[in-house]
Amino acid sequence: MIELKNISKIYESNENNRVTALKDVSINFKEGELILLKGPSGSGKSTMLSLIAALSKPTSGEVIVDTKRISKLADTFAATYRRNNIGFIFQKYNLIPNLSVEDNILLPLIPLNLSEDEAQKHVKSVMEKFHIAHKKEIAVKSLSGGEQQRVAIARANVNKPKIILADEPTANLDKELSLKFIEILRELKSQNKTIIVATHDPLFFGLDFVDREIEMLNGELLV
Amino acid sequence: MKSKINFYLIEFAINSLLRQKAKSIFITVVITFLTFLLASVFFITNSIKYELNATLDSLPQITLQDVRGGRIHDIDIKNVEKILAINGVSDASSRVWGYYYFEMLDVYFTVVGIEEFETALTPALASLSEKFDFNSIAMFVGAGVKKKMSERYYKEYFNFIKPDGSMKKVNIAGVFESDLELEANDMIVMSKQNVREIFAMSEERATDISVHVSNPKEIATVAQKIKEQFPSFKVITKDDLKLSYENMFNYKSGVFLALFVVAIFTFFIIIYDKLSGVSSEEKREVGILKAVGWRVEDVLKEKFYEAGIISVFSYLLGIALALAFVYLLQAPLLREIFIGYSDLKVSFRLPFVMDLQTLLLVFFLTIPIYIAATIIPSWRVASLETDEVIR
Repeated sequence: MIELKNISKIYESNENNRVTALKDVSINFKEGELILLKGPSGSGKSTMLSLIAALSKPTSGEVIVDTKRISKLADTFAATYRRNNIGFIFQKYNLIPNLSVEDNILLPLIPLNLSEDEAQKHVKSVMEKFHIAHKKEIAVKSLSGGEQQRVAIARANVNKPKIILADEPTANLDKELSLKFIEILRELKSQNKTIIVATHDPLFFGLDFVDREIEMLNGELLV
Repeated sequence: MKSKINFYLIEFAINSLLRQKAKSIFITVVITFLTFLLASVFFITNSIKYELNATLDSLPQITLQDVRGGRIHDIDIKNVEKILAINGVSDASSRVWGYYYFEMLDVYFTVVGIEEFETALTPALASLSEKFDFNSIAMFVGAGVKKKMSERYYKEYFNFIKPDGSMKKVNIAGVFESDLELEANDMIVMSKQNVREIFAMSEERATDISVHVSNPKEIATVAQKIKEQFPSFKVITKDDLKLSYENMFNYKSGVFLALFVVAIFTFFIIIYDKLSGVSSEEKREVGILKAVGWRVEDVLKEKFYEAGIISVFSYLLGIALALAFVYLLQAPLLREIFIGYSDLKVSFRLPFVMDLQTLLLVFFLTIPIYIAATIIPSWRVASLETDEVIR
């Protein structure tokens, strides 16, 4: 389903400041799989997620999702691809702090110009699923870390994506909330979604529903 | 059902403006002020130009004054016959008028003399002469004069002080009305005989002579002939007057321009500030929107709505304020810039003149500039790699 072919990514702010985030990485992810990308900070996990989500383009190599060359997509098509296929849970959640829970979750649906009933149905459904409906009118800046994460998860699922990408999802959560998140992952996995989680949180290691754990270091896969 | 207009996007744009309350209020104030200033100037300009043109249109084609030693003297009315003998002149008549200084209120009134079958003056005065009782010692006054006189308790009559110090009591017969506020407002109309008495002008003399030429194309030629025949006469054509009024008016506009440049300068500083960069918060927000699947065009559309809502609202507010300021309040302070001589004359009301052209001009001088200044930096940010923006 997802194929990364000889991917390299170099961040270059100027000639003297080049950071190689990924070095000639090739890997496949199957539909319905739950994969853990493990490794310390700077190992290239987030970059890999970013390339799969078409948030950035590789310096070389190709990202193919369902036969589409994502890495070659023009910006407009990349956005459409993201909207239709990807649910991204960011480490810092990337919510708009002054917007309400409901409005933050609605964001991916706005460009679709759905009818009010349809849009509300989608939003209500994910708010209930991720137990945040009771806070729907509250600005997200007033929520706790765990609640903010539930909003981020709800937003990532509101467009019913096939692929869920989570970048250090428990980095800002305590153990109890992290375990709750793991339960949410289990539920998403049961819906046959392809899930890739970048983490170095030991709570994820050895979980029975995780299909593969991939170790990364200095932009390379450790086999 | 899908609607073509994306109301969610409009709602998001409104929310976005409300979220940045302080910034939105500041921008609203600046654009409203600029629109208000621009529209006020155009409204005042249009009103005065309309009034001036209408006033000038009612003036004689050629006016003759007797200038000796650089000073204007009363003109000998015997010259009227000689003028009538010039080829091309269809009519010529003497006019008796002058400025009367009303010391108590420090204003000048224009005192105009008329006689039966008056043709030398404006149509309004000509029609007044038909109903005027020339045997009475009475006068018709403009609305402004009536008001000023009433302030000093002259409600039924007024005592004119003649040059020899004696007084002449003239009854107020009524209020003189004209379509032209400038013409009628500061005017007093009475018989020529009474005007002569007040200004101590002899029967053989007049203030000036008005000349009518049958063929308007011959005005310049007739003016030249008069000049040759009467070297001491100052020959003023209607076009000369129009030009001198316009020059004075343009000078006044120039003074305003200096003020206006300051306002524009401020506006452009804000625009520059917006163009030179988007705040980190705004940048992050654009990144988030793109990360959740918004295309560059979706982001730009939202920014367009934001800028459109704030600038159109400010524009309408500015226009409404300008209308109230100019036509209800009569543009205090600003109108003095354009009508510098108002201290000497009784003030008049600015006539309501409104055209689509002015509204469009103000619109295009403000709104597109602001919208562009909002969209261009957002486009720059939205065109960056999303990952780079939200990292």
